[in-house]
Amino acid sequence: MEQFIYYLKVSFKGIKRAPLPYALTIFILSVGLGVFFANATFYYQLNRDPLPHKSDKLFFPMLNLVPYECSTDCKTPSVLSYNNVEKLSQTDIPTQAAAMYSADGYLRQSTEQAPLPVSIRITQRDFFSLFDVPVLHGSIWPDNSARHEVILTKSSAEKLFGRTNVIGEKLLLDDRNVTVAAVLDTWQMLPRLYDANNQNHLSDTDDIYLPLETGYDMNYLSNTQSQTFDDTDYRQLSTQGRTGALHQLQYWVQLDTPAQQQRYWQFMANLVQDEKAAGRHPSAPNNQLVAMRNIVSYFGGESSDIKAFALVTLLFLLVCLFNASHLSLNRYLSNQYEFSLRRALGASRSQLQLQMLADVLLMAIFTIIGALITGFAGIKLMNQLLPANSLFSNWDLPLLLSLLVIAFVCSYLVTLYPSLRASFGTLNQQLKE
Amino acid sequence: MITLTNLSKIFRTELIETHALREVNLQVEEGEFAALTGPSGSGKSTLLNILGTLESFDSGDYLLDGKSINGLSDSALSKLRNEKIGFIFQGFNLIKDYSIFDNIELPLRYRGLKPAERKQRIEHALELVGLHARRHYFPSQLSGGQQQRVAIARAIAGKPRILLADEPTGNLDSLMARQVMELLEQINQQGCTILMVTHDPDQARRAGRNIQIIDGQLHDSTLYEPLSAQSA
Ligand SMILES: Nc1ncnc2c1ncn2[C@@H]1O[C@H](COP(=O)(O)OP(=O)(O)OP(=O)(O)O)[C@@H](O)[C@H]1O
Ligand SMILES: [Mg+2]
Repeated sequence: MEQFIYYLKVSFKGIKRAPLPYALTIFILSVGLGVFFANATFYYQLNRDPLPHKSDKLFFPMLNLVPYECSTDCKTPSVLSYNNVEKLSQTDIPTQAAAMYSADGYLRQSTEQAPLPVSIRITQRDFFSLFDVPVLHGSIWPDNSARHEVILTKSSAEKLFGRTNVIGEKLLLDDRNVTVAAVLDTWQMLPRLYDANNQNHLSDTDDIYLPLETGYDMNYLSNTQSQTFDDTDYRQLSTQGRTGALHQLQYWVQLDTPAQQQRYWQFMANLVQDEKAAGRHPSAPNNQLVAMRNIVSYFGGESSDIKAFALVTLLFLLVCLFNASHLSLNRYLSNQYEFSLRRALGASRSQLQLQMLADVLLMAIFTIIGALITGFAGIKLMNQLLPANSLFSNWDLPLLLSLLVIAFVCSYLVTLYPSLRASFGTLNQQLKE
Repeated sequence: MITLTNLSKIFRTELIETHALREVNLQVEEGEFAALTGPSGSGKSTLLNILGTLESFDSGDYLLDGKSINGLSDSALSKLRNEKIGFIFQGFNLIKDYSIFDNIELPLRYRGLKPAERKQRIEHALELVGLHARRHYFPSQLSGGQQQRVAIARAIAGKPRILLADEPTGNLDSLMARQVMELLEQINQQGCTILMVTHDPDQARRAGRNIQIIDGQLHDSTLYEPLSAQSA
């Protein structure tokens, strides 16, 4: 230990001899790493798996069960009609299942208050257990029947009431009476993969939740994708929405085992065959069952600009590394005389390598501080430029740890070659100079 | 203690080959004080560097304490340099931004001595060269003679058994040169073997033995005949 402190002191002496090139080396490394790291943060957060333990068990079924024969561009629609969901619900193969869509509305406590614009997820009971949503107060609807009961997120409860335990409180949802059944705990599924078919998975969570049947009854129109394949008027949701070919529902099922998945796949095939036999399925069957793990790539929702940017910043980091090692080579060569002297006085190469390790450690510490500052600034800047991605700019422990490792490796690379050159020189020649 | 047999050293550059040492045979006994003399470029520094394992050689053998140094690993050579050999360079080779104390400490650091032991050895060496009062000075604050004495202190602080000195008085005026010479004699009397390169005939005479090198060949190695000649 005492010896290592000595090595650190020697490193400091070396820095003091040429502080400017050293500061420049640190600066270049910090900028390269910081920019790379800011970008890596977004890349990592945008591509992370929000439910790693079940993203291969949650599935998104799609049927092209529509009342007209498709001739060109026959892609299976990504959303289902109410009718189709009913048919898909005629089985107990899935462990749980929920249909959903989203709408906009206004919420307030009384007519004297200014209404609060809210985004509403209109869904079924199993939504909350499918996606591991934590409940703070109250309980989720006991079944899928219509009820004028809303579930609030923690932040919308705080916005409306200034507190969270508001079970049983009355609210006006677009001036119709509803009561609060439950309040969710802080929850942010990033990315919200259940909304990936609308390329909507990078936005914030919805503010309140309403039962599907009530949503239809109250005529809440979808604010994302809805397609009509017959003469149903999509604006007449409460009267025509349940029977016509108005496709607007996302549907998620949980299939825990391969056997379950196999059986469900077969169930879908049989369903489509029966429909065909009944003359309600004119197109060729083209069923899809996509796991949540693959949902973004299935719908082509990968943000390619972020990917390209990540590549550019990686190249930038490489350029910075080259520059930094060039600077550091010069620094070492000007110190070569001292290296040789130490060797002549009996320092072995491995002792000089320990010296190098002290150099690396110091450089890594400075670089990490610099990279954290530039990285932080970079993220702030990106949030200004691309506010849509600002939800994905958080640093977590694995991310920070990998920054530490990368910074250390970079410092090591920058120091390795120069110090090897310096410690393998011909001894006597350099001492003469 | 030192035995060189048919040792040759050739410096190769793109244009020329310099035979710096040709088939050198040399035997140095423990406790000797030998002066190496010869014209400039004759190979004195080269010989000393090889003895100090700072330089490799092309053929022949170098036995130190009866053991060949051929094929020793880097760490074994470093250890040998660190523990057995003290080196006084043609320049002083002090580190400018290290204090006198820290300069002398360098070789002791790499030997892994305890702090107290290091301190005691440094102070002993500083007393011997008469610079104890200036141990916190920096090299630039000392005269040339004093700097050379620091270099000597650094060389002997590790209590080496061999001291290799390359023109230790070359940069000094005659008074300082005499002081340094007296210091080396004192160190020799305490049992340290010394090989010293010098141009000064007086100094060469004061040494117990005079080895002359001309054009890479040893000429006056009076105490030693090549093995081949003995057996003949
Ligand atoms: N690194 C080297 N590369 C090529 N030639 C060298 C090298 N070092 C020394 N020489 C040559 O080897 C010969 C011996 O050099 P050396 O330094 O041993 O001489 P010297 O006797 O110490 O001279 P001086 O009294 O001037 O110090 C010289 O001709 C020199 O040019
Ligand atoms: Mg010389």
